[in-house]
Amino acid sequence: MTARMIEVRGLNKWYDQFHVLKDIDLTVRDGEKYVICGPSGSGKSTLIRCINQLEHHQEGDIVVDGIAVEKKGRNQRAIRSRVGMVFQSFNLFPHMTVLDNCTLTPLLGLGMPKAEAEEIAMTHLTRVGIAEQALKFPLQLSGGQQQRVAIARALTMRPKIMLFDEPTSALDPEMIKEVLNVMVELAEGGMTMICVTHEMGFARQVADRVVFMDGGEIVESAPPDAFFDSPTYDRSAAFLSHIL
Amino acid sequence: MAPKVFVPSPDRPPPVDTSGPLVWIRRNLFRDVPNTLMTLLGAYIAVTFVTAVVDWALIDAVWQAESRRECLDLVGRSGACWPGVFVWFENLIYGLYPKDQVWRINTGFLLLVVWMVPLWMPRVVSKVAIGLSAVMLYPFLASYFFLGGEKGLVWTALIAAGLWGLIWVWATALTETLTGKSVGTWLIGRLGRSGADEATQMRIRRGAALALFVVSVLLVAPAEFVEVRTQFWGGLFLTLVISGIGITFSLPAGILLALGRRSKMPVVATLCTVFIELFRSVPLITILFMFNTMLPLFLPAGTEVNQLVRAIVAVCLFAAAYMAEIIRGGLQAIPSGQYEAATSLGLGYWQTTTQVVLPQALKIMIPAIVGNFIGLFKDTTLVSIIGLFDLMNMARAVGEDSNWLGLFIEPFFVVTLIYFVFCFAMSCYSMNLERKLSAGRERS
Ligand SMILES: Nc1ncnc2c1ncn2[C@@H]1O[C@H](COP(=O)(O)OP(=O)(O)OP(=O)(O)O)[C@@H](O)[C@H]1O
Ligand SMILES: [Mg+2]
Repeated sequence: MTARMIEVRGLNKWYDQFHVLKDIDLTVRDGEKYVICGPSGSGKSTLIRCINQLEHHQEGDIVVDGIAVEKKGRNQRAIRSRVGMVFQSFNLFPHMTVLDNCTLTPLLGLGMPKAEAEEIAMTHLTRVGIAEQALKFPLQLSGGQQQRVAIARALTMRPKIMLFDEPTSALDPEMIKEVLNVMVELAEGGMTMICVTHEMGFARQVADRVVFMDGGEIVESAPPDAFFDSPTYDRSAAFLSHIL
Repeated sequence: MAPKVFVPSPDRPPPVDTSGPLVWIRRNLFRDVPNTLMTLLGAYIAVTFVTAVVDWALIDAVWQAESRRECLDLVGRSGACWPGVFVWFENLIYGLYPKDQVWRINTGFLLLVVWMVPLWMPRVVSKVAIGLSAVMLYPFLASYFFLGGEKGLVWTALIAAGLWGLIWVWATALTETLTGKSVGTWLIGRLGRSGADEATQMRIRRGAALALFVVSVLLVAPAEFVEVRTQFWGGLFLTLVISGIGITFSLPAGILLALGRRSKMPVVATLCTVFIELFRSVPLITILFMFNTMLPLFLPAGTEVNQLVRAIVAVCLFAAAYMAEIIRGGLQAIPSGQYEAATSLGLGYWQTTTQVVLPQALKIMIPAIVGNFIGLFKDTTLVSIIGLFDLMNMARAVGEDSNWLGLFIEPFFVVTLIYFVFCFAMSCYSMNLERKLSAGRERS
């Protein structure tokens, strides 16, 4: 049995009075790919943001690669450095070149010398097929290219887990494809991944499990074939008929 | 069969009605009756104003006279009486600084220019370090030039540090321009120690820096300038000193206050907020007055705080509070996604702030920041209220001279021009900076 990369137990979170996440349990093992889907406002983003501590929860435990999240946030940086995150809106740093975006973590976070940092950055930029744009500024690239840079940038941190929050929903159809290709390749390379996405083709192709959330709860968690062909709950069936 | 020869078609001039200066004039200045009337009215006002000023300042002006009475006898009030300004000109610029020492002021400012020149040299890469050294080390050098007097051990070391900085800046500028290497790397190369391990190289760098410092001390130690007490400072010189210090202090202090106000630590946030709101809610004139009259009351009896220092402290605190709010505006414009991305990349608070947030925030705030600098520069005129003879107060003093009694307009006219030149230069620089920083970073 492979190691548990992420373990979420009895997670509860509130925004003031609003109960966003209710008793979430989730275990992701080394190398597993999870796809989370569900209607808007169901708490998908909140859940993955809790995992790398962009949001703080009130109840329950989160363990990332053997490190338990502490309420006081003392081991935040240790956890964040193991978890790469890709956002819907890319969030590249517009005042730096693509290359500088990607050398930031190696230089500052990992304390590498410049030459080595640039080498690592270029390796990952090549991997996502964007090496020749390295000296451009992010806003000079197309959306799909920006998102691929964002993936490369997250990879420079050498994360053990990658989180994706609707990485393709701000993109045009052709660009969706180029980003998904990069993600598929990453998955095939053995990366542990949690993707919030409604790209069901992608889910079928790479996911080990599809998790369906609604109203802050995990309604259903099943392998993709089972999930798509015979959803257990009416709610997931209705959702599927909606998006497929 | 030979291929046909391609003959490019000749260029045609653009159709007349779409471009050209005449068309532009017709379209924008004489489009229809109201438009034409506005143009003529505007031209009339501009011409009248300019000719009036030229008549007064140049054509009808008196250039040689012994007193204002003489001017009035010659042209009455229709022309400017410049001799009074000429006589006082040196005072307008240097205050009552001894004439034979004025070269020290000139040299002091020249040194600043020399210090900053490498910032505009294209191949120099250590611009941030050079800029920082100008802020941190130049003041020691300059204050000795301006103040002079006895220098104790500490003072000597500080002035030497200033000189050290200047030499370092130019050594860096030269090696980076000529060889593309930093001074240290170049020196190690010259010594043939490029292959040495890092510790040895570090020792060479430290040793060179120390040797340069010793040389600076030896150069500084014998220099002896007569003391010129700040009571004799005045005019443009004093204005530049006060506003220069205020401007250089306000930016870093404003950044820290703005960050503090947004801090998650309640004590820090409250302290910063209280400071900012306190100083922003009171006119500068009141603060100057308070510092001038009340500060001595709070200090232990017998400690004498120079009046100029009091004014500078007041200006600095006031400017920092204003700057803080401007910077905070810039910080708020940075989308939370930028913080989240930086945090999720494992960067800490200061790394995120200095690498991601501040560069973007400062860039969008350049017009506001420079606007604040310009405001501060002009606000220093208020120090006349506590009896300092800045440029403005000096101009007023001309009309109180018995020879030039009542001569106010002419010196104020000159002072206005001086203020305009400085403020407009800052404004142009800000526009230039904006253009330079935005080049290539946006989809055009
Ligand atoms: N900072 C916040 N303060 C208060 N409520 C919030 C906050 N952030 C999110 N919420 C609420 O929490 C709920 C879950 O939000 P979340 O962003 O996790 O949804 P989601 O499943 O990712 O939706 P989408 O598919 O639209 O991205 C929503 O109802 C949202 O309104
Ligand atoms: Mg979401």
